[in-house]
Amino acid sequence: MNLTLSKRNYYGYLFIAPFVLGFLIFGLYPVYNTFYLSFTDTTLMSREANFVGLQNFQRLFADDVFTNAVKNTWLIWLLNFIPQIGIALLLSVWFTSTRLKIRAVGGWRATFFLPNLLMPAAIAALFFSLFSFYGPVNQFLVRAGILPEAMHFLQNVPITRSLVIFIQWWIWFGQTIIIVMAGMTAIPISLYEAAMVDGASSGQMFGRITLPLLKPILIFIFVTSLVGGMQMFDIPFLLTDGRGSPSSSIMTNNILMYLKFSSSRGHIGAASSVGVLVFIMTTIVALGIFYFLRDRD
Amino acid sequence: MRNKLMFLISLLVVASFVLAACAPAATPTEAPAEEPAAEEPAAEEPAEEPAEEPAEEPTAEEPAEEPMEKTVLDFWSFTNELNTMAVAYECLHPEVDIVYTQIPMTAGEYQTKLLASLGTEDAPDLMALEAAFVKEYIESGDILADLSDLLPDAEAANTYKFVTDVGTHDGVIKAYAFQATPGALFYRRSLAKEYFGTDDPAEIQELLSDFDKYTEAAAIVKEKSGGDTYMVASNGDFQNTFWANREQPWVVDNTLTVDPMAEKYVETAKLFRDEGYEAQATQWQEGWFAGMNDTLVDAEGNPKKIFSYFLPTWGLTYVLAPNAVAADGSSDTTGDWGVVEGPLPYQWGGTWIGALKGSPNLELAKDFIRFATLDEQNLENWALGVYTNEYLAACDPEVPEDQVQNPGDFVSSQNVVEKIIPLFDDSELSAFLAGQNSYAGFAAAAPLVNAELMQGSDDAIQRAFNDPMNQYLNGEITEEEMWAAWKDQVRIEMPDLIVP
Repeated sequence: MNLTLSKRNYYGYLFIAPFVLGFLIFGLYPVYNTFYLSFTDTTLMSREANFVGLQNFQRLFADDVFTNAVKNTWLIWLLNFIPQIGIALLLSVWFTSTRLKIRAVGGWRATFFLPNLLMPAAIAALFFSLFSFYGPVNQFLVRAGILPEAMHFLQNVPITRSLVIFIQWWIWFGQTIIIVMAGMTAIPISLYEAAMVDGASSGQMFGRITLPLLKPILIFIFVTSLVGGMQMFDIPFLLTDGRGSPSSSIMTNNILMYLKFSSSRGHIGAASSVGVLVFIMTTIVALGIFYFLRDRD
Repeated sequence: MRNKLMFLISLLVVASFVLAACAPAATPTEAPAEEPAAEEPAAEEPAEEPAEEPAEEPTAEEPAEEPMEKTVLDFWSFTNELNTMAVAYECLHPEVDIVYTQIPMTAGEYQTKLLASLGTEDAPDLMALEAAFVKEYIESGDILADLSDLLPDAEAANTYKFVTDVGTHDGVIKAYAFQATPGALFYRRSLAKEYFGTDDPAEIQELLSDFDKYTEAAAIVKEKSGGDTYMVASNGDFQNTFWANREQPWVVDNTLTVDPMAEKYVETAKLFRDEGYEAQATQWQEGWFAGMNDTLVDAEGNPKKIFSYFLPTWGLTYVLAPNAVAADGSSDTTGDWGVVEGPLPYQWGGTWIGALKGSPNLELAKDFIRFATLDEQNLENWALGVYTNEYLAACDPEVPEDQVQNPGDFVSSQNVVEKIIPLFDDSELSAFLAGQNSYAGFAAAAPLVNAELMQGSDDAIQRAFNDPMNQYLNGEITEEEMWAAWKDQVRIEMPDLIVP
């Protein structure tokens, strides 16, 4: 009896071993090593590296490049996340509504999801060409008399930021719709039927039934989007010159980290310090979301 | 409760991936310091006896293994051109297999990939190093193998001094180049006749012999064309000429230093923007290429022309000539170009080849470098267009159809250059330039090129300049703010540099 029990336990460990090993090697060790590197002046160009204490971190706060990158990242993420979740909720309510009975929901959903299948590189190249000085957007706007003369869209701070925000929203809202709809269809229809019998309005049903039961899903979207948003890289990197131009207005945390890493000497120690701070920031905020949106009963 | 716990754990896992991206870069820190030496004693041995018959080396080692097994050399580059060299080498050395990997460097991908590979098993035996970053590799003691063995070959080929200077740091040479890349100014002959009454290179050079004259000429071009012809495509076009004529390097005593030439550049660029002498067609973008074949159209649909392009040797063969015909064939500027030295002497670009220190096939890698950069016969073949696609396909049937080396590239050996100048009097390229022998012109300029100011940090410092500069030219920020923004940008990539 004892023997079989222990054997069963042993198999359990065996089954989770691949994940645990994978996590230790590819998840935990890199984190540990990044923390370690952030206290050194390691570069890829030389084999010597010294322990420099907090110097990398001090340098990050010596000028406002890092704080600016954090601000940019938050700004771009928030301004794309809020409309993203808002429109996803609205469309999901419509799509799942038994009153509206929208046709070809699957088709709509697939259409909205399509941008997510495109490579960010292709999207960035597309927008780069569209908005270049000799590009079609300038041609259209000037010929239509909207602009007096061609302008450098991608050297203009508000326009470039808006483009990044729009592209991020456009890529991700379809994905959010799919998750939200999955959450909504999981809510028992009997609850809505009961509410309708009691004479509840659409708004009341949304606020009292849909939202509370959707909370775990919303937390999931919130946290995954936050983690992704704090690591935003490809679109802002590829849209302009890979340095967060114009005026460092789309320089995100990861672009800054990448710049330090890909600098002429490959300063991975300094780059790690950015990674460490972003890691700490993301963890605190994610735990905060989790704490404030927890079940209070 | 359990759900919450699971969530928390998965959250931590997800969050940990925030940093996972740094992981591959982290490996080279300690381990590789000893690994190559310990793991590949074979590489050390032949290095002790200077390679007299380096080509024999691999065959000598081979019999231990299967006789048909080829020695593999990994070769990374950022364009496809050096694949021609690789195939040509394989042709002469069937026992060698050069695995050529091309990684673009549009936004620095090549440099990043190469940096990340150093110290790992993935590091290539041979690496192409562009002028923008070659110096950093030369200055570092840990990456490139000492190629002093090949110096006698370089002396025999009479390699241009600046080419070997770039490859040398502290008296040790670590990279050689197959090309030399002095720069020139290309102009449209028909437009020159229209605005200046002549298209004769000597007279045009007289009109454009310094930047004040060039600016005056820009005003004439604007006035006589009614603003339809721009003197130059963008201010980036002449950036190099200013950088090349500084008197001090960017970094003096580990301190960022601004040479008066940099200030002069900003001043000139501002003037060109404000006066409308430049088309604002950024280099390497659509408008820039469109100007070369006269298909540039502004946003309202009015045709615009560009009078001159600053391009080096490779710019003629790889950029200007191929782009002189519009994609739809509607317009063709071939034969309408002239070339002069221009306002300031400069050089732009160039590709050096280095070998990985501790490569197991170092001797073979060295022999390839000798072949590709110092072998006069090979350089002559390269410059004269012997390496046609048929030639290469005969060596390696899998060679891509567009793999070809057209005649006209300017090579690094003065012996070869002087020998072949007359062959370009009546070539396709001279027809492109309405009879001018560009090779002779470049041959006159090459000995004047000075690479002494080149430093490893140049690229990062100069790239950091572009965005602040554009903001200044667009009138978004003042000149003072521009310099401050530039310094912030420089600091990001060079934490150890003193930025006043």
